[in-house]
Amino acid sequence: MHTDALRYLGSRLITTVLIIFGAMVLLFTLSSLVPGDPAAILLGPQATPEYSKRMIVEMGLDQPLHIRLWRFFSNVATGNLGIDIVSGRSVTSMISAVIPYTIILTFSAILLAVITGIPLGIYAATHRGSVMDSILAFVSVAFIAVPGFVIAIFLLLIFAIWLDWLPVLGTSRSGDWLDELKRMILPTVALALGWVGFIARLVRTSMLEVMGENYIRTSRAYGLSERLITYKYALKNACIPTITILGLGIGRLLGGAVLIEIVFARPGLGRLIYGAISERNYPVVQGAVLVVVVVFVLVNLIVDLSYSAIDPRIRHGSAGQGGGH
Amino acid sequence: MAVLARGAGTDMGAAVWGTLRKVCTTLTGAVGFVIVVLVMGCALFAPWVATHNPDALDVMNRFAAPSGAHWLGTDHLGRDLFSRMVHGARVAMQVALSAIAIALTAGTALGILAAYLPARSERFVLIVFDVISSFPSLVLALAAVAVFGPSTGIVVVIVAVTLIPHFGRVARSQTLTLKSAPFLEAERILGASWPRVVFFHVLPNILGPLVILASMDIPVVITIEAGLSFLGLGVRPPLASWGGLIQDGYQYLSQTWVPVVVSSVALGVATLGFTLFGEALRDAVDPRIGREH
Amino acid sequence: MADLAPVTAPTPLVRIRDLRLEASTQRGTAHILRGVSLDIGRGRILGVVGESGSGKSSLASCLLRLLPGNITRLDGSIAFDGTELLGLDEAAMATWRGARIAMIFQDPMTALNPLFTVATHLVDVLKRRHPGIGRADALARAREALVSVGIADPDLRLAAYPHQLSGGMRQRVMIAMALLVQPDLLLADEPTTALDATVEAQIVDLLEGLRRKFSGSIVFISHHLGLVAQLCDDLCVMYGGTVVETGPVAEVLARPRHPYTRALLECEIEDDVQGGRLKSIPGEVQDPVAPHVACVFAPRCAHASDRCRGEVPLPVEVGDGHRVACLRLGEIG
Repeated sequence: MHTDALRYLGSRLITTVLIIFGAMVLLFTLSSLVPGDPAAILLGPQATPEYSKRMIVEMGLDQPLHIRLWRFFSNVATGNLGIDIVSGRSVTSMISAVIPYTIILTFSAILLAVITGIPLGIYAATHRGSVMDSILAFVSVAFIAVPGFVIAIFLLLIFAIWLDWLPVLGTSRSGDWLDELKRMILPTVALALGWVGFIARLVRTSMLEVMGENYIRTSRAYGLSERLITYKYALKNACIPTITILGLGIGRLLGGAVLIEIVFARPGLGRLIYGAISERNYPVVQGAVLVVVVVFVLVNLIVDLSYSAIDPRIRHGSAGQGGGH
Repeated sequence: MAVLARGAGTDMGAAVWGTLRKVCTTLTGAVGFVIVVLVMGCALFAPWVATHNPDALDVMNRFAAPSGAHWLGTDHLGRDLFSRMVHGARVAMQVALSAIAIALTAGTALGILAAYLPARSERFVLIVFDVISSFPSLVLALAAVAVFGPSTGIVVVIVAVTLIPHFGRVARSQTLTLKSAPFLEAERILGASWPRVVFFHVLPNILGPLVILASMDIPVVITIEAGLSFLGLGVRPPLASWGGLIQDGYQYLSQTWVPVVVSSVALGVATLGFTLFGEALRDAVDPRIGREH
Repeated sequence: MADLAPVTAPTPLVRIRDLRLEASTQRGTAHILRGVSLDIGRGRILGVVGESGSGKSSLASCLLRLLPGNITRLDGSIAFDGTELLGLDEAAMATWRGARIAMIFQDPMTALNPLFTVATHLVDVLKRRHPGIGRADALARAREALVSVGIADPDLRLAAYPHQLSGGMRQRVMIAMALLVQPDLLLADEPTTALDATVEAQIVDLLEGLRRKFSGSIVFISHHLGLVAQLCDDLCVMYGGTVVETGPVAEVLARPRHPYTRALLECEIEDDVQGGRLKSIPGEVQDPVAPHVACVFAPRCAHASDRCRGEVPLPVEVGDGHRVACLRLGEIG
């Protein structure tokens, strides 16, 4: 690996750490803004005055701000995200219990969207102006514009209630993995639909741009087959802007996943946060949001790093150092 | 992007009209434009367009089917769905336009500032932008609502905050490009004062792409607001928000599917319309906007 | 006494007759090529010279039939070794590209795909030309080709990505690529225009060295008359989408008959004249959207007459292979 690449990696890591740091500060600030007596809030309705006072001393809530901030950071660093006020369980364990569901859902949706969207995008780019292209264009905009949870509700209505093809809500009680799979279909499709359209359009636009570039003209001038040009050369070039914008959209995907979990009554980070908000369960909210942010930032980092795997110009530290003539 | 030395307010009107006409030449642009006008009309003239008072309860008449008296039927509390839908447009537009206005102003100001600041401070601003962007907007909204409780004001502020980096980055990069333009150099040499340079020269030139970006963000904000209201964490009931209507309908899905479908369609069509319009607008002016990072 | 049969020159590799190219633009139909006729001799280097807008690059694109989407009309005849190229369908034409015809483009900086190594570029081109060739064999040939275009350290360059090479080096790679497919016709579209003067000189030297080894024909397009004079066997002067004068380079340069050619020669900066004003041709190139009813050069011609403004000049043979398209040919000295 060249030193340029290492330097790039290094600076990205530092930025990532700084961002997580900033996010934690932001979250901490938010939670310290909670109006009212912090202990009473943390303890909920069961708080008695003595209990509150003990709580305050134990948790160091009477300490000055910077000490509390420090405690927050060291807690997070050791994996302690606080205690759930309702059940007394550690927030960390609550989150780790539900996070697999969210991850599986999101991951499956992305996979589905990519597998469907990329070929559609390539087709639209190579058959520009055809009927299929126009239909695709309209449908993809429709699915992007309409919010995910609306699509989810419609899917629910059509497939689960009217047609009764698929089980409706929640996860499998019987533990049977086929049942589990069936229950995953609707939520995954709902989440993926918006993305299929997005990816297809993205790929189409990028491909069309790339096809007009001079280096593709060179390939054509040498009689390389359209197939080779499209799938080996142009597609790789088109990946770069596609990944950029995909990376930027991951945030929306996470937001969408939250809502869809709620619509389908599935366990996951979304439901956890939602439930915690209704109960005024701040430690859970704070912990879960922090986890979401960290995941989000890490995903962005991975997306950034995958550029350098694809684009050698970034690996070698950009434009023309050429040697000799 | 053409960089013109214009004073503020020169033939903007003609430019706007010409752009609108260009937008309407495409099918998608025209459809989008029609929908936008429809939604804005409902929002502005809600009390006159609606047939009933959206908050009027009539519990005896709950879940009524669409009829002459209630065009789209009634909800679980007997309130007229059509009127609630129309007022929902008002709520959506209020939230969207105020959030975007705030974000646009603050973001542009920060962006221009960042372009002129020394390197260290500029990096700080950029990192702040990155931190804010690292929160998916919905999640940030959830966190804020957890602290402050649900209200329209909170939604507006949070959404505005999440959009600030978006506008800020574009404003900054546009200003940076502009900074090296010869006519700005000339102004500086002639001794033009700093505020004058910013307001008369920088602002009019970068405003175009920013406004287009803003119009493309409207559907995003509508969606976020609807999502929050759907969760019961957005505007306070009994205010009619499309998201809230969907939630109400969803709860009583077993009784009737009309409320859910009606409000979902309203939401979907509105976001679709604004998206189509925003994209047509961008394509009419400069297809490269929105691809800069 | 029996007539001695005239010694015929070998038939040209390519005969272009009355080539017309039109494209639709916002302002109307642009006439890019207005009836171009010329011959490309076998094993000879033809230099095509003209200002921007003369259609010289479009001519090359027509030979390859790689044209932009807004082309509305392509008529005439391009007879390549007996085959009418304009009559071929796209699939058939594709078999000619990178096999019998190869092209070097003007801008080496954008002509290579930044995400692929030089080796990949060359190997893919070779595999297409010789299906079934093994990778090792292809790499060996690619390496040889790089050496032949003067690249020292070919193994390093093979593994390199385009952005790691300088402009001159990239152009050498492009030349190597063209030579690898052993075409009958090599089109070089202003290959040195985008390069520094020193690098340009090196590439020209390279091309001069290669002409001895390369047995095919070359079309060398440039706006630089001096370069063309140095390198080429035949010269073709284009203006406004037409060929105004063509012939063996020594002949045309020594006895230019068309007013435009003469004006061009006068514009060339001479080494030993100092302190004078640079000569230029007054006026502007005609708008391609204007209809073709007269001599295209008439508006700028010092000798233009009314006849010139109303009639299209056809090429007239004035010497051995020397053709001029001027209505006032006999009257101007």
